[in-house]
Parts: sequence; C-alpha cells; structure tokens
Amino acid sequence: MKVVATSYISVKGAFLNEKKIQHADDTNWLKSLYQALEIDYPKFYKMDTLSKMAFLASEIMKNEIAAVQTSDQDMQLLFANSAASQQTDLKYLDSYANGGTPSPSLFVYTLPNIVTGELAIRNKWYGENTFFITEKFDEDFFKEQLQFAFSRGNKSCLCAWVDTPTDGIEECFLFLVSEGENKPGNLELLNRLNNYRNE
Amino acid sequence: MGIETKLASRLKPVYLTYGSLVSPLGIGMEQHLTAFNAGKTGVSFQQGTGFNKEDYYLGKIESLSNNRYTDLLSLGFNDFVEKVGQELIDSPSTLIIVSTTKANLNDLDSDTFASTRKFIQETTNNPNTPIFISNACISGVIAVNTAADYIRSEKFTDVIVIGIDALYDFVVYGFQALYALSNEPSKPFDKDRKGISIGEACGIIHVTSNKPTSFYVDYLGGASSNDANHISGPSRTGEGLVRAVNRSIERSNIAKENIDFISAHGTGTVYNDEMESIAFSRLGVNHVPTNSLKGYFGHTLGAAGVIEILISMLSAETNTLFKSLGFDEQGTSESMNIITNNTQAEIQTVLKTASGFGGGNAALIFQKTL
Repeated sequence: MKVVATSYISVKGAFLNEKKIQHADDTNWLKSLYQALEIDYPKFYKMDTLSKMAFLASEIMKNEIAAVQTSDQDMQLLFANSAASQQTDLKYLDSYANGGTPSPSLFVYTLPNIVTGELAIRNKWYGENTFFITEKFDEDFFKEQLQFAFSRGNKSCLCAWVDTPTDGIEECFLFLVSEGENKPGNLELLNRLNNYRNE
Repeated sequence: MGIETKLASRLKPVYLTYGSLVSPLGIGMEQHLTAFNAGKTGVSFQQGTGFNKEDYYLGKIESLSNNRYTDLLSLGFNDFVEKVGQELIDSPSTLIIVSTTKANLNDLDSDTFASTRKFIQETTNNPNTPIFISNACISGVIAVNTAADYIRSEKFTDVIVIGIDALYDFVVYGFQALYALSNEPSKPFDKDRKGISIGEACGIIHVTSNKPTSFYVDYLGGASSNDANHISGPSRTGEGLVRAVNRSIERSNIAKENIDFISAHGTGTVYNDEMESIAFSRLGVNHVPTNSLKGYFGHTLGAAGVIEILISMLSAETNTLFKSLGFDEQGTSESMNIITNNTQAEIQTVLKTASGFGGGNAALIFQKTL
C-alpha cells in the first residue's frame, strides 16, 4: 500500500503534501481558511469543528482523490480521534442545562461519524466508513485497518485523524492510501503528522 | 463470480457465539428466550422523562444506579466472564472491541471512554489495547464485521465484541428535540408508527476462530456504506442500504434467495422504516420474513446491532421467527413480510442490517450449520 497524498488543517493553516498552501487568521481561523481557499459550500457554516476541519482537508486534496478513485464506492473512509464529539456534546449540553431548550442542530453533531457523512454528501461517496476512538494517533492501528479494507476489496482509503480535544490542538490530518503492492511497508504516518505539527 | 465473491470462498471460518445480554428483559440468553416466547416487552411507561416533563416509553433497566453506564458494563461483563472463564479474556490472543455511541456520559467533562478502559484494565489481564467504534447506530454491526477482519487476518483467535449504551437525558432530549421520539411504545413498520423509544442495553458476542462446542453460527460476510444524502435523515431511495446489503451478499458467497430471515433496523420513525421498505424491495428480498426488535428493547444505539444479532442467533438456534412487536398493519409504501406471530420455521441464513445518523448503513450475513 502507498500513501498518495496528505493534508493537514489546524490554526497554523492549510497544508497539502507537507507544503503550506494557506495561512489562517488567529480569530475564526476555520472561516478564514474557508474564505481564503475560495470554496463555495454554504453548508460549511452549519458544521461543527470536526466536520469543518475534515471538509477543508478533503477539499484541498480533491485532485489527488479524483486521480485514485475508480468508482463511487471503492474508497473506504477510516477516521479516528481521541475525544469523539466531546466539543459539540458540551455545547449541546449547554443549550439546555442553563435555562434554554435542547438544540436539535447541535444534537445531530453529537456523534463523531457525522464527519464522514458530511464528506460522503459533498463528494457522493457511497463506500464503507468507520469511526474509531483511540487515545492518540496510532500508526499501527491505521495500517491494520487499511490492510483489512483492501482485503475486503476496497481500492483506496481516505483516512483521517480529526480531533478536538479540550486540552490539546484542534487538527485534522488526512491521508489518502491506495492499495498498490499488498505489503504495508513503512507509511511514515506518525512522522508525517509530526512534521505538520512542528511546522 | 465477482472478485469479492472469489475472495470470500477461501476465507477462514469465523464463528459467532453468545456472550451475554443485559436489557430490561433480563440477563443472559435464557431469560431473553423466555421473554421473547411470551411476547414480553422491555419498553415501559416512564413518567416525566421528557425535557418538559413529558411522559415517554423507554427501554429502561430499573436496577441501574446513577452510574448506569458502568453498572451496565459490569453486569454484562461479569455474566460473560462467568460463562467463558477468565482465561479466554486474559489471553494475549483475545481482543476486545467496544461499540458505543456515547459511552459514559457521567464523564462528559473529562473523557467518556476512560471508565471503560479502566474497567477492562482492572478486571482483566488482557494485554491488548481495546478498540472503540463510535459510528452512530451502525456501530454494532461494524464492530462484528471488524472482529471478523481480525480473526481472518489471524491477528487474534478470539474477539469479544461489547455493544453498550446507557439511557441518559442527553439522548432522550436530543431525539425529542428532533421530534423523533414516540409518545407510545415504538411500532416499527406499522402504519401508526410515531417514532423511537430509546433504550439501554449491553450485548456481548464472542467471535472466534475455534469451532465452539456450544451453539454457534458461521459469520459469512458484511459491509458498510454511506447514503451520501443527509446527516440526520435516511435516503429516500434506500441507496446506501441497498449497497451495503449487495456487498454483504457478494462477500458472503451466497445468493439472495438463500436468505431465510431479515433482522432489520426498524426504528419506528416514519422516514427510516419507509426507507428500509424501499431498499428491501429494490433488493428483491421484501418477501423474506422480517422483524425489528426495537419494540422489545427500544433503540439502544451502539448496543442495537450487537443485541439484535444475539436475538437473531436465538431465532436460528430455536428455529423461531420472533414477531415484530408493535406491528399490526403495513405502513410502508413497499410491501414487506413483517412477522406478526412467533412462528416455527427452518432458519439457516440470516441478514442483519442497520442504518444511522451520518448516513451510515451496515449489514452482515450469518449462517447456521445444518
């Protein structure tokens, strides 16, 4: 298997294949990236942080994805994070805990896998999708799941570490992996993520 | 023969056996069989449980304390340990997979998954990091599909799949806010269905590569898919479900004519049940006897797929098509064969499906050896 492309979104900006392509403003950094990247998708404004980050990360990788995708269901989405939807969970709780009423639009985002749904809708992807929770980014775990995905007949996988921990960095690390040769090899995923983090 | 079918024909056998089941209907498979034979429901009247103190019907386990998630987890896990012994659980060749949408909401301020990790660490000597799947209402089916991946890759000989979600105001209020909650017990596929009854449960399936000595079924194959349509509403065409079932059939190396029984998702909302009827009709399996178990348990979210597979295994073992509780009259645009009475029938091949928020669908097929 082979890493075809990577992208990264955080308050530091938007990165594609280890190159910074857009700087983010400090205030409302996600909105600033969305506007600077000149994407037209008004649904963006309704999304939570997880979905916004993954959306931007996938939009800047569109060409690379189109080049490897062979059908509308041959690509599996393998997503993971540590904090699930905690950020939205707390906002939703806050919508009714202090005199208000439960917000249905926040409640919908109290599931981490809504992210994969947003990307599927945007790109008309009908393939397999799974959201895992792991304590931290786990390269071996992703490799294992990639092997399973390919052995089930999928031709490519779009993987994400997309996390909004209360005491850590909000980030989305997206990587596109194609089946290529069947040996897992060294994907250098953690190195690539750390390079982005150290930018 | 497609590529996926060819792959399936030379895959290693994967066996599913009963683990445990904790619900308002009892603990363990025997108590559930008794309840199902008697047509008993675990959904009960719960006064003032809505956000404005509205009355709802919920699948609530009365014996649980305010720490209901950890109570539920230990009830299920202890029952399982009693059955299989500590040795299997502690073995380095055993993996634990947990399927849950919300985990322990008492810990929302810190980490809702931490108490499960701690529980496993304290009650077992299993050296492997447990895997958590949080993929809305299809988590349970995906968890069993993932367990099969691990067995077939020979990374582990045994996988313990725990499906669990507890009943919290957080979830009840949310479905209420979406107008998806029924003010009477859920009536999946019925013309008068009004929505979901939320429930809580813990189900455990033991997935193994070693042929069990007690009752088992052969896991054949499964798949997931996305509707690519809406984050909180089902597809109007059933597209995602059709794809998940078609891929499951292909990977299972069977023909759709082999399917004897379908354990559907059937939440009891107008749109979900309608979507399923369209999908099953498109698939040409809408004449197959079908039930939803949400009338017995309510919708137990991350536990749903797991507990519904367990009850479907019970159907296969006892050759009983359990009636779809709450169903009286067809209420979907496409006809379905919803089971109206407990009926004896030869059940060999079973299709289990699930659909959920985020547009996800999942399916799997298992078979009883005759």
